[in-house]
Amino acid sequence: MKKFSLLVILIILIGTSCERDDICAETTPTTPHLIIRFYDINEQDNTKQVRLLTVNGVDPEGNVLENIVTNQSTDSIVLPLRFQNENSVTASRFELKRDSDFDTDTNDNTFSNTDVIVVSYTPEFVYVSRACGYKSVFNDTQNTLILDSDNWVFSYEIINSTIDNENSAHIILYH
Amino acid sequence: MKTQHTSFYIISSLIMMLCALTSFSQTNPVPKDTAVYKQNYGLRIGGDIGKLVRSFLDDDYKGFEVNGDYRLTKKLYLAGELGIEEKTTSTDYLNTTANGSYFKAGVDYNSYVNWLDMENMIYGGFRVGVSAFSQTLNSYTVYNTDQYWNEQFTNSTSQEFKGLSAIWTELIFGIKVEVFNHLYVGLNGQLKVMITQDEPTNFANLYVPGFNKIYDSGRLGFGYGYNISYLIPIFKKNKVVVPEE
Repeated sequence: MKKFSLLVILIILIGTSCERDDICAETTPTTPHLIIRFYDINEQDNTKQVRLLTVNGVDPEGNVLENIVTNQSTDSIVLPLRFQNENSVTASRFELKRDSDFDTDTNDNTFSNTDVIVVSYTPEFVYVSRACGYKSVFNDTQNTLILDSDNWVFSYEIINSTIDNENSAHIILYH
Repeated sequence: MKTQHTSFYIISSLIMMLCALTSFSQTNPVPKDTAVYKQNYGLRIGGDIGKLVRSFLDDDYKGFEVNGDYRLTKKLYLAGELGIEEKTTSTDYLNTTANGSYFKAGVDYNSYVNWLDMENMIYGGFRVGVSAFSQTLNSYTVYNTDQYWNEQFTNSTSQEFKGLSAIWTELIFGIKVEVFNHLYVGLNGQLKVMITQDEPTNFANLYVPGFNKIYDSGRLGFGYGYNISYLIPIFKKNKVVVPEE
């Protein structure tokens, strides 16, 4: 009888094993965004808000994608970066539109001003954890300001050419 | 004169007390009826049927383990396990296969007081385990919370990390029951603590043969086993049983 009850316990225990949920915690730093801050061209130590900024990504075929930022007066923006293959130079193109309301308001004499920046970098895939797998960090970041007849962004500065966290700005734009 | 008498009295009474104490501790045991049973000592060899069954049921797992123990004293056994495992771990973002063999050695201590001539075990033990294995990263998807560009990147080029090894210690608790003459079934649970392991470059071991799943959170690991084993008796020893009052 004693042997039999032990056997029953043994059979019940077969196949039961514990698995912890493998969910990537939101607090774990994974693929970072690009952080851009806006500074004053005249007083270069001070940040300066951009009035009613709208930001869009432009895909490699030239299609303008949905808004990343919409009609916000802000001095910093957080942008997603494209990546495909590791170690191949990749570029993300963004349209930054200042005074977004000027094109839609009733005043015909004011216009919104759109500037285009192209950020290029080399993705590198770094192991994070069992739950999160790999993230991409971006090395050798470069910025290009596309010149037009009326730029509102005057110059830029790359603060961190390696984008591997979201703790501080990577690129500064002066306006 | 009076003080001499007093001291003599104190010393003699101390001696008397000491004599009383020693005579108290020298109480002779009353002879009782005793029974003598033959106990088998030998080599017990078996296999893990749990791993065998899982190999058939689980597509992501193949494994087998041979285990054995040798009885040293009434309660102490020398014990060891030798096994091979291949396990594919698949998460939302990773698919990797660990493949290798392991060896564990240690002792088991039987804490079960058997009735009469029975030779069952409820035991606790200690092991040191080593494993030699490889990890193959079959595919991975780069984790990106922002899908603005709609470009989820998946790498399916398999990458193998060879020549990895790991060392760990474990506590084992289990039972072994003699169901037929010399044939035992047993189950056990193992609590493991990783001591050292080779980490592949820009990757990590998600599974180590013998150690099982590696958790993100720390060095602990868990395992279990369902064994069938056969005792090859080598010699017999007498077990004297004194009936309880």
